[in-house]
Amino acid sequence: MGNNLNIHIPADNIISSLGFTTQQNIDAIYAYRSGVMLDESKAIADQPIQAAKICSETLGKYINHFNLVAYTKAEQLIILSVNELLQQYDVDLSATDSAFIISTTKGNIDVLQNKTHPIPESAFLWKMAEKISNYYSLENRISVVSNACISGISALIAAKRLLQAGIYRNIVVVGFDVLSHFITSGFISFKSVSSNICRPYDKKRDGLNLGEACGSVLLTTDYCPNTAILYGGAITNDANHISGPSKTGDGLHYAIQGALEDAGLTAKDMGYVNLHGTATVYNDEMEAKAIHWSQLQNAKVNSLKPYIGHTLGASGIVESILSVHQLKAGIVFGTLGYENNGVSQSLNVSSRHQEIAIRTCVKTGSGFGGCNAAIVLSIENKTKKTLNKIPITISSIKNCMVENSTIIVNNNLVFKTDTIDFPSFIRNAYKNLGESNMKFYKMDDLAKLGYIAAAYLLKDELKIEPLNIGIILSNSAASLDTDRKYQQQIDKDGDAAGSPSVFVYTLPNVATGEICIHHKIQGENTFFIEKNYSPEKLKTYAQLAMQDSGISYCICGWCEFINGIYKAEFELLKTK
Amino acid sequence: MEELIEKLKQQLINELNLEEITPADIDTDAPLFGDGLGLDSIDALEIILILEHNYGIKIQNPSEGKEIFYSIRTLADYIQANQK
Repeated sequence: MGNNLNIHIPADNIISSLGFTTQQNIDAIYAYRSGVMLDESKAIADQPIQAAKICSETLGKYINHFNLVAYTKAEQLIILSVNELLQQYDVDLSATDSAFIISTTKGNIDVLQNKTHPIPESAFLWKMAEKISNYYSLENRISVVSNACISGISALIAAKRLLQAGIYRNIVVVGFDVLSHFITSGFISFKSVSSNICRPYDKKRDGLNLGEACGSVLLTTDYCPNTAILYGGAITNDANHISGPSKTGDGLHYAIQGALEDAGLTAKDMGYVNLHGTATVYNDEMEAKAIHWSQLQNAKVNSLKPYIGHTLGASGIVESILSVHQLKAGIVFGTLGYENNGVSQSLNVSSRHQEIAIRTCVKTGSGFGGCNAAIVLSIENKTKKTLNKIPITISSIKNCMVENSTIIVNNNLVFKTDTIDFPSFIRNAYKNLGESNMKFYKMDDLAKLGYIAAAYLLKDELKIEPLNIGIILSNSAASLDTDRKYQQQIDKDGDAAGSPSVFVYTLPNVATGEICIHHKIQGENTFFIEKNYSPEKLKTYAQLAMQDSGISYCICGWCEFINGIYKAEFELLKTK
Repeated sequence: MEELIEKLKQQLINELNLEEITPADIDTDAPLFGDGLGLDSIDALEIILILEHNYGIKIQNPSEGKEIFYSIRTLADYIQANQK
């Protein structure tokens, strides 16, 4: 049975402010060195900012060496990282049993600067994937996950499912993000950026530091002695707010619980927890509560953000790699700068590196759109557990299509306006639902579209228990329509003109988040980017996710809005 | 003062995308956050920007805003007292 396959991690690479190999990163952290530095270059922000940047001089040397001038910075990082990875463990990526998953929040967003009409093709994540696919002869066996700051962990969980199902034997998972005015100004508009090196869980914490990084891992079902194993993982949603962390920590707790269940382990089996630990007041407080809910208050916890900053779409990969190496060394890295507990629950956190006896850990992440994710990593060969996850079959019990000012449910026209403009169509479609939530009008167009498609899909359906339903969506433009709007604000009047209410929608999965809030959906949620909609591929993945996470219902589909053109095609899947 | 109050209402409607709402719908003394207008933490950040860009008033810490942002009247009072 596929589910009992172990997922080994025989190779990894980190490129960050602390170096171009995993070892360089580890050496720096051992020496308590932070890559966060005051950047006054104005290259990534109008104002001086504490940030963890990749050394451009060293990067330049590698670019020349590998002849990568034709690629964007993000693509260069991916190729450099994966080339180093393949030196450690040779895998033929052109073979049909190999695949590649990219995780990122903003991809090549820096190409949008002063070039928003038309949007350059390289800003599209599928285009980036195409270039990487060509470089490694992947024949399009490549996927892109864009799920805010849990992207990296989401991608690892996606890889785990595809491997356990026997669809592939080897998967390279890469997570990255590079810093630009777009990203820094957005976080500054949210008042989330600290003017010092961040201090997770400390009383004096006052925000995060942004960092850029690229991390890559090789996951394989081949037996590899003395390597880390990815035992389990789960993704949940707070269904509470699109940017504010949950006040109770329930969503993250459910993710940790789901990951432990998937691994067949309990809180007592965990040596430590590597948390997201951004050092914003609300994130850290939420995590402290989730740790208590999950009965992990005695386990050691740490955050690696003071060393490398918050590396966004890279963080899940980079910090998982660092977690694996901590397990190998029997050491938990200290949380630099931590002095006094500044959260409402007591946490077992220390500024100094500490020894651990148990070589198994949980890695968590949380992000905009209300998403949370957790995975269990171990270097101990756990007794093979018997998972009672039997293969399931699913059926599509309902569908909803929104396009050309019409809404069609189960092939019946249920709503139509004669006007072709999107704003008046969507406003009337909303009023027709009989709802009067002011928040709808504040959403961006992608979120409104998703909101309406899901509302008509689930209309007249019986209430589904929050943890029994998930949502898996895809599109080709991610949030580029709103990204352009945001970029134009800062192009025109500088970084300070960036509006937080626009910035918050510059992630495709925030549309998912709005749907989750509306219908109280707390299960699996993932957003993929692909050039064209391939419903069968997405449904195959949804089936694996439903089987793996034990949910009975899943909204699955396409949700695209770009240049005024839109289409949503949702299905409600149910296990038979 | 009345002029400032009317101006603020219109600015809030424009900047916070309060569709379907007119200045007359906003009670000058009612709480802005919570039920009424359905404003949340992102709106609070937008109000901070309105103060910065239109009135030259800087609020560094959003938590300072709690009392200032209570209602249109408290907001107008604060602007009048602090405008440069």
